[in-house]
Amino acid sequence: MLGQYLPLLALLAIATLFSAVSLVMSGLLAPSKPTPPKLDAYECGIVPSRDTPARFPVRFFLVAMIFIVFDIEIIFFYPWAVAHRGLGLFGLGSILIFSFAVFESFVYLIGNGALQWGPLKQVAHPDGSVSSKRTTTTTVRRVGLEDRIPGPVGTEEAA
Amino acid sequence: MSAVFAAVSTDAPIFVAQNVFFAVVALLMVGSALKVVTTSNVVHAALWLVLVLAGAAAQFILLGSEFVAVTQVLVYIGAVVVLFLFGVMLTRASMGDDESVAGEKRSMAAVVAGLLLAVMSVALIDSFSDDRVVIDQPQLVTTVADSIFSQYIVPFEAISVLLLAALIGAIVVARRD
Amino acid sequence: MILALDPLYLTNIGLAVVLIALLKVVLAFAIVLVAVLFMVWFERKVIADMQHRIGPNIAGPWGLFQTLADGLKLLMKEDLVPEHSNRFVFKLAPFLAIVPAFLTFAIIPIGGNFESKGGSVRIFGYDTYLQVADPPIGILLFLAMSSIAVYGVMLAGWSSGSKFPLLGSVRASAQMVSYEAALGLSVLAVILQTGSLSTHEMVADQAAGGFLGFIPNWNIIVTGFVPFLIFLIAGTAELNRPPFDLVEAEQELVGGFHTEYSSFRFAIFFLAEYLNTINMSAIIVTLFLGGPSGPVLIEGIDWAWGILWFLVKLFVFLFAFVWFRATLPRFRYDQLMDLGWKLLIPLSLGWFLFLAALNIGNDRGWNPGVVVGVTIVGGFAGGALLMAAIRTARTERISQEVDAHG
Repeated sequence: MLGQYLPLLALLAIATLFSAVSLVMSGLLAPSKPTPPKLDAYECGIVPSRDTPARFPVRFFLVAMIFIVFDIEIIFFYPWAVAHRGLGLFGLGSILIFSFAVFESFVYLIGNGALQWGPLKQVAHPDGSVSSKRTTTTTVRRVGLEDRIPGPVGTEEAA
Repeated sequence: MSAVFAAVSTDAPIFVAQNVFFAVVALLMVGSALKVVTTSNVVHAALWLVLVLAGAAAQFILLGSEFVAVTQVLVYIGAVVVLFLFGVMLTRASMGDDESVAGEKRSMAAVVAGLLLAVMSVALIDSFSDDRVVIDQPQLVTTVADSIFSQYIVPFEAISVLLLAALIGAIVVARRD
Repeated sequence: MILALDPLYLTNIGLAVVLIALLKVVLAFAIVLVAVLFMVWFERKVIADMQHRIGPNIAGPWGLFQTLADGLKLLMKEDLVPEHSNRFVFKLAPFLAIVPAFLTFAIIPIGGNFESKGGSVRIFGYDTYLQVADPPIGILLFLAMSSIAVYGVMLAGWSSGSKFPLLGSVRASAQMVSYEAALGLSVLAVILQTGSLSTHEMVADQAAGGFLGFIPNWNIIVTGFVPFLIFLIAGTAELNRPPFDLVEAEQELVGGFHTEYSSFRFAIFFLAEYLNTINMSAIIVTLFLGGPSGPVLIEGIDWAWGILWFLVKLFVFLFAFVWFRATLPRFRYDQLMDLGWKLLIPLSLGWFLFLAALNIGNDRGWNPGVVVGVTIVGGFAGGALLMAAIRTARTERISQEVDAHG
């Protein structure tokens, strides 16, 4: 019975050994000439300008928190799913009550905006403050196009 | 714990391999647990904690409670310590050792830990010293389901309320930005 | 319920049994390594084909040994550990990525005669399953391993002490954690049908029976297609493969969590990534497409047919994953999170309850139409509640932004 976990243990040992041995081999075969630029944090070739950000949006933390709740809920579903036919109506009723309670808290969570990410498109122009006549052709000034595009620009210069 | 020791007593069948494994894993757990409190890097402490929890899962497997073991991995290693690490990484990801962790409160913590150990040992030995875990038959998932949905149905439903409270608490804490 | 147990362990456990078990372990390890080598080649070749390129064609026939050559090259490259890194964790992270990937493979049945011998084959006079281990909690081991795999990504990024890996790993771990919930919920639909957590039982359950004589009793049909789709999407996200590869979005994050890794440490992450792809395809095949079950056409070599059917089904999903990568543009992070939390998780939860109610109703002789009706009403109610919540959150946020910007 418990013997069937021994192959898993063996596989774990082999996998660890494989990784360790190949890393050791790599250490023996590979050259090692560290220079300060090589050992610096990678920043696309420039000298690192700032430290790594120390703080992140709390939303990431919230995701992990919500996950715990769902994980516990799902864990309780597994034994029920295995035995649900034997447990019958009573089991179904209790699992429905349980899921309803968790779903309810999930809805509360979403209603509070806990899982809102990214920008809101609607907020860009909340009260029509931007006229619809403004387009890219009227607002973007084109520079440096002289001599390249024949047309109004070139004719102006010729005149 | 005491139940495992009881399995070694004379009239019960002795599982040599199981006891050897138990000893190895238990030693590993104790060592890792000591590292959790002595290391001065918070992330290292969390990783040693993972080792302790994995050891607990291994002990459950040795007792034939595979479902409990995998639950231990899924919930504690896969979610709770991940949350710890998230908390550490997202707030102050200090790479080196943190001096403030190894403060002067150590002796106090040791006293509390010792007291806790004493209380729990007494409680466990007092209530379970005669009990015996039968290891020749692994515990089926259906057995777990049957006991949750009959004997422990009220705690089970209460958990849903507890989870609700936890989520609301999370929101309240996190929304103060 | 019968306890799922490899018939190998029912005989007297002697040296021969131990040797066969060990042989299976070593074979599984070797198969996995070779499979990864060819998977990398396959992906590069197919992508090249889809983009009208030739792809690798120098090393070996059709470039088959390209991955081997790359591996050897990486073995001889300088191994750098960044100055600002946390050295212990930096060196630990690759192990945490590769070991769970290997362990997941252990529970996958890759062959066996499911038609007449209950999924076992005969090796050296012993009946055994063609999988390394068949613990009674089988499929939960897969979920547990994928929750440990999060550590590899998370710690690799954090310990690098560099901003791009940290950003990548924070994104990745939040993503993997989110989709793990959807993954777990969609597996539940299969467990409802099988009544067991063992992967072998799942295949055996799908091998028996069928509809109209030619439609197999696969869970993809029995569970009504929705759990399969959710599992496929959540699985792709769990693998951090395109279109969910925000982890290593090259345009923004250089290489994601393994930017600072070089030499064979990088190779190990690469290996783990492809190994996980193979594992995920194999798990999908096991859960939803009947695993290695299929007709035995020539009686003499019955062991070969299971492996053949398994490989054919596996290949479909390996190709699908490559196809996704070649075709689909990357999701935005908010889209990814919305898809996971606001669609997949509620949908899979609802579908699970629906299937369970159908099963119990079936046992008690209820009219299935009533169950479907109640589910539709309940589903609409839940959906409306969810929509209302999403709308509330949005209007509140709009009013906040308007307050802030006038």
